[in-house]
Amino acid sequence: MSQAFDLVMLALLIAMALAVARSKDLVAAAIIFSGYSLVMCLLWQHRGAPDVAMTEAAVGAGVTTILVLVAIGRTCRKEK
Amino acid sequence: MRKTLVALTIAAAAVPMLIGVAALPRPGDPAAPAHAHVGARYIEGGAPAAGAENLVTGVLLNYRGLDTFGEVIVIFTALAAVMAVLTPAAPAPPRAPAAGAVSPVVAFVIRFTAPFIALFGAFVILKGHVSPGGGFQGGVILGSLLMLLSVVMGRGARAPLVPVAAAPWLQAAAPLAFAVVSVLGLGLTGMLLGFPAAPEMALVRESMMIALELGIGIGGAAIILALFLALRGD
Repeated sequence: MSQAFDLVMLALLIAMALAVARSKDLVAAAIIFSGYSLVMCLLWQHRGAPDVAMTEAAVGAGVTTILVLVAIGRTCRKEK
Repeated sequence: MRKTLVALTIAAAAVPMLIGVAALPRPGDPAAPAHAHVGARYIEGGAPAAGAENLVTGVLLNYRGLDTFGEVIVIFTALAAVMAVLTPAAPAPPRAPAAGAVSPVVAFVIRFTAPFIALFGAFVILKGHVSPGGGFQGGVILGSLLMLLSVVMGRGARAPLVPVAAAPWLQAAAPLAFAVVSVLGLGLTGMLLGFPAAPEMALVRESMMIALELGIGIGGAAIILALFLALRGD
């Protein structure tokens, strides 16, 4: 069970990382990256590191995404 | 040609990393170095020695307090760098307030959820002693709250969310708290950032740790808000 959870989460992480790298729409990439952080947060919690999980959820999924979105708003949305 | 180079570079980075991961001890292996040397001592006697029931907080603020001091200075320096790049030398002429730009639904939801987020942030900062959490996590939660509030309140230089005179002091709250507690520790124990260990000084020690947590939390929140505002261009 525990092993299966890890494997599903790691497969999700790899899929999301590839999606971020392949996406031409930077807003979509930022949102997928936020989801990546959320999955990472679940993995930390599952590994018994709740402090790191909280930081990952707050910083990785929350603040970083917003800062990236604001930066995209000031530059341009499509990757050329 | 270019694709081959990219693939070669990725392989050159990935193969040593994968070899390193393969050589790691199995999770939970009692013979692993992480469990065999100092880790066991921290787990046995760390909580009473460091003065925080949550071992992570004890290690962050006490065992490696000086590293955390450096860490908060790094965060403060990051803000200074962003502001040096993005803040114009002369303040821009105040723009017309964009009051009508926010939908009433968004404004209501932000105002409705704000007190709950604030309570949760304060809880995470102050409860970091006994349960997971602490200044860094709670500060980020408070910072997200300030970012949300800056959408509906205090747009632009005319009505800033944080008073202009107080903002630099709040942004520097974490290094300042560490500096004050360091000097206090020097006076009490003869060591920089030292915490008095005697049982009758437990109240002083806990006050020092709470001061550090509050400094990290308030400083982190102010820095996140300032990063957001600088990037947004207020």
